[in-house]
Amino acid sequence: MSQQPFRAVGRPIPRIDGLEKVTGRARYVTDLVIPGMAHAKVLRSPYAHSRVRKVDVTRARAHPGVLAALCGADLTWCEPYYGPAYRDRPVLAIDVARYEGEPVAAVAAVDEATADEALDLIEVDYDPLPPVMTLEEALSPGAPRVHTGKPQAGHFADLASLRPVPGTNVCHQFHFARGDSGRALASADLVLDETYRFPPVQHVALEAHAAVAVWSETDGLTVWASTQNPYSVRVELAKMFGVPLARIRVVVPHLGGGFGSKTYAKLEPLAAALARVAGRPVRLAASVAEAFQTVRRCCARVHVRVGFRRDGGLVAVECGADYDVGAYADIGPRVVQKATYTATGPYRVPDVTLDARAVYTNTTPGGAFRGFGVPQLAWALESLFDVAAERLGRDPVELRRQNFLAHGEEFAPGDTPIDGKLEESLGRAAETIGWTQTGAADRGRGVAAMLKASVAPSVSEAIVRLHTDGSVTVLASAVEMGQGTRTVLAQIAAEVLSVPMARVIVVQPDTAVTPYDQTTSSSRSTAMTGRAVQVAAEDVREQLLHVTAAELGVAVTDLALDDGSVVTPGRRLTYAEVLMLRFGMSGGEIIGRGVVAPGRTAAPLGGSTPFWEVAVGAAEVSVDEETGALRVERYVSVADVGRAINPLLLEGQDEGGVVQGLGHTLFEEMLYQDGHLLNGTLLAYRVPRADDAPPALECRFVENADGSGPFGAKGAGEGSLIPVSPAVANALARLTGVRLRDLPLTPERVWRALRARGRR
Amino acid sequence: MLRPFTLHRPETAEEACALLARLGEDAVPYAGGTELLLLMKLGLLRPPHLVDVKRIRELNELADGGRLTIGATVTHRSLERSPLVRARCPLVASVARHVANVRVRNVGTIGGNLAFADPHSDLATLFLALDAHVELVSPGGRRELSLGDFVRGPWETARRPDELLAGVRLAPWPSRAAAYVKFGVHERPTLGIAVALGLNGGDGRAGARIQDARIAVGCVGPRPARMFTAEARLRGVSVDRVDDVVGAVGDSAAAGVDPADDLHGSADYKREMVAVFVRRALRVAAARAGGVEPATSFPYAVVA
Amino acid sequence: MDGARSPETIHLVVNGRACDLEVAPHALLLDVLRDVLDLKGAKRSCDTQVCGACTVLIDGMAVSACTYLAVEADGRAVLTVEGLAEGETLHPLQRAFLDAGAVQCGFCTSGMLLTARAMLAETTAPSRQEVLHYLRGSLCRCTGYRKIVEAIMAVAETAR
Repeated sequence: MSQQPFRAVGRPIPRIDGLEKVTGRARYVTDLVIPGMAHAKVLRSPYAHSRVRKVDVTRARAHPGVLAALCGADLTWCEPYYGPAYRDRPVLAIDVARYEGEPVAAVAAVDEATADEALDLIEVDYDPLPPVMTLEEALSPGAPRVHTGKPQAGHFADLASLRPVPGTNVCHQFHFARGDSGRALASADLVLDETYRFPPVQHVALEAHAAVAVWSETDGLTVWASTQNPYSVRVELAKMFGVPLARIRVVVPHLGGGFGSKTYAKLEPLAAALARVAGRPVRLAASVAEAFQTVRRCCARVHVRVGFRRDGGLVAVECGADYDVGAYADIGPRVVQKATYTATGPYRVPDVTLDARAVYTNTTPGGAFRGFGVPQLAWALESLFDVAAERLGRDPVELRRQNFLAHGEEFAPGDTPIDGKLEESLGRAAETIGWTQTGAADRGRGVAAMLKASVAPSVSEAIVRLHTDGSVTVLASAVEMGQGTRTVLAQIAAEVLSVPMARVIVVQPDTAVTPYDQTTSSSRSTAMTGRAVQVAAEDVREQLLHVTAAELGVAVTDLALDDGSVVTPGRRLTYAEVLMLRFGMSGGEIIGRGVVAPGRTAAPLGGSTPFWEVAVGAAEVSVDEETGALRVERYVSVADVGRAINPLLLEGQDEGGVVQGLGHTLFEEMLYQDGHLLNGTLLAYRVPRADDAPPALECRFVENADGSGPFGAKGAGEGSLIPVSPAVANALARLTGVRLRDLPLTPERVWRALRARGRR
Repeated sequence: MLRPFTLHRPETAEEACALLARLGEDAVPYAGGTELLLLMKLGLLRPPHLVDVKRIRELNELADGGRLTIGATVTHRSLERSPLVRARCPLVASVARHVANVRVRNVGTIGGNLAFADPHSDLATLFLALDAHVELVSPGGRRELSLGDFVRGPWETARRPDELLAGVRLAPWPSRAAAYVKFGVHERPTLGIAVALGLNGGDGRAGARIQDARIAVGCVGPRPARMFTAEARLRGVSVDRVDDVVGAVGDSAAAGVDPADDLHGSADYKREMVAVFVRRALRVAAARAGGVEPATSFPYAVVA
Repeated sequence: MDGARSPETIHLVVNGRACDLEVAPHALLLDVLRDVLDLKGAKRSCDTQVCGACTVLIDGMAVSACTYLAVEADGRAVLTVEGLAEGETLHPLQRAFLDAGAVQCGFCTSGMLLTARAMLAETTAPSRQEVLHYLRGSLCRCTGYRKIVEAIMAVAETAR
């Protein structure tokens, strides 16, 4: 692409919060010390499903040093239920505890040790109930019900039409169709009908969930929270405690990883309830083991029927996806419908029937996790593409290329046309991995593609303030969780206002200070929050130009910004000088405002995606045939990002996505037995280590500046993870002839498949 | 979060034993704490007294007096880096290098490792193959037990409550004709295979015959076990012909284990992996006997 | 011969500065560093010695401060990430991590840096294999590790 005369955008600038992080000075929620702060501990249910007959916290309450001890029955003074889709999750179990690890009681005390001791003094009378631990159990006729009450809707507009199936554990079903898939399949030359499974996995952000809450008469409730969306947390807290939004302040310091685990309220309601009762600031910090009891990825069983013509044309897709959302819906229903809507991936499919169910089970609640339901479906569809290629005698790359949606082509009526060039991404990936060259006999190669929508409708707002010395403050609420958004927002402001990066600061999210942003997820921050910052900075620029134009008596169009000054041929006024002209003194500031709010549309889900995230992965694997152990020797990821505002950070994010994807591809899985989670700590739950990363890992980008975000950028960050599983499984299949349909591809699973092949 | 306890720091083994005798079940010996403190933090153990044995000089010895003595409080890291151990028992140093991670090795001790009798201990399996003995001290005196007699089952040893594990003694095994291979996806290994070959005609000579073969299998059963039947099949075999018998030896070892289904895998898989890795370990040991370090690497496996 | 349950005074050198502290026998080094000395760079994460976020160096040797009694640090030198730079001059590893993009959320960073520093003190010119071996107990969920290994190798190359 052509070289743009950008000063900040497109450059591999080291992250602006890096110095704080390498020196250990960066403060995360658990590092905060608020004067008078008490410490909380949570008592959790040991059963997958039980009636909670009685919780007695009197002895705990009387324990010296204890400031508050609460159980579900105590929460009469607030709305004790919360949840973004359904308000089905009590802060502390009420009458029924629905999964192992569900909070049943909590204590706040002068220190952690006292709180810990006090937990021993709480008596709970449990009456175990039969649990449903799997989709099969939960969906079987007459299965025990996880929830029996009338569902209460949460706060999402596009989930206003939640469709539970009464009398069952299905809390939401989604249906989407076009054409007549039944007829199309009947006339297809090749029909494949297969079922794929994706395991429950945990995010394992190294920083587990944490919150510090304090109430004050003047300011209301302040919560320092490890959250990816302070504004969603604010809404929940306002509803629960009956407090106006303006009197709730959610502040987000440095975040130690999110990956979706910190979307929507998690520990904040409990911390706030304890703080209210204790009359002191309360700190509630989960352990990593407790994070396993807080949220996970929705596992899924995906049944897909695809039909192809003999010439390779994809004619129909029927998909029936069941997602296990665990004991509380969290954002599960939205995961399910959002992902299922794009179950056909980046392909042109005339006839489609897509059905999905969100199913309650007595397991850790399932929520958002990088990819938002798409990895589960891409696992099935992208595997099937290779199965089809083999059956049709086609090259898997060519078969995909033949069926890709074109740039500008409609995905669904009313939704955004495809804004990426899939064939370019696939071509780059294939070329980089040497697809057409003969590889080593003991290596196999596979590819996979993906397409994902971002959340819509959604809103981002930003404020940019230009100070009298020409320095700039950016106020926006995108959460820096490692992905680099603070640096990217600074680059955008520095670019528009033509100032050095060092003169821009990006304030950490604080709902009392930084303006509304819907969420830091869905790969949306660069495109949406970044665009809002760009608009706000342009607003500042326009004001600068107008003041200068009036002063110099020239047209605005004759002026430009250049390195901290407004310039016109022969004249150069520094921003300080322009502000002096504007205010008549050395004071005041120019404030710019940016709003990105595409609003509702006629698209099937009620909003048009602001961009399509598009990526391709290519894997090269070897396998130890005697043990079934797979090794990913090489991996190439290509993402169509429109423009890489910061290639260094983007590359890091995509490399991380690939390796995170290798986790659920190769070994990650939360395993339950007899109602108990067997591997809820890092001693038993394995996440990728440095020596698991492919020795060759290359993340590349397609940049056509064709995105709706700033400078043509699109969202990125989830795309690299999604193709990993099918790319690896496809490589394994091409190497060994073995096709696996259940993740993870553990050595034992691969070994069994190899043995079964051997016996054929 | 740890609950309060009383910390004792005896300077001699006698003092420590007296404390253990006096406090009975209320006291637990403490050295590196890598296992103990973990269980205490999880609330699985709450001993009111910890007896820190690190100040007892004799427990920290690493000495060569005919047999190699490894004191109970010697850390994995010291073992890994000790020139003495590298010279006299190189495989021990090499296995120690792959225990857990560097922080655990820096602090965790040999005594703690063995006394905990975690069935996934690498060193217990290795020491079993090397015919190591442990020394126990008590107010009543000292006794030596073979490692096989000491480790009774998962998290269970023959140590009496008033006894202190003083250390491990083993005959030097300078031969390179040995190998330890472990395999597994998880933090702790799914299986560990130790193979040590005694050759007639000395070490490193091509054509030497196997006089004494020892194979120990760890992790797949309640405690590490020697595979005597499998070992017998190797006796008298020329090291350059080991390939002819590895299949039978591996199968024999697999027949000698009784794995259970668990997080690490199904029983039949583990049994098969025992056969696979016994074969592999034998090939490595045989290659080393011939003075060749094979460039072997298997996914999810460590070859020590 | 009676043991101690009540706090005792320990003498240690933290980041080059001598200090005397009253600590209970059951106090964990991580809590003492974070809560008493306000050195928050070491993080509590897995709490099981698997992840390495709480890594500090004791006499140059990496330990998990989450599973290490503070009294064990008596008479020893403790180095935390706060002591890695010399004044305003960053340690080469810190510089390399920044330049290579080896830092994302930052929660693993202090442990990674100290682990790398301990390794380079032992092995001035580690191979890539040795780096991977040494990082076995250092988890990062953000980066995919490539840039971390690259940063460490870059410093090792310079030292060569």
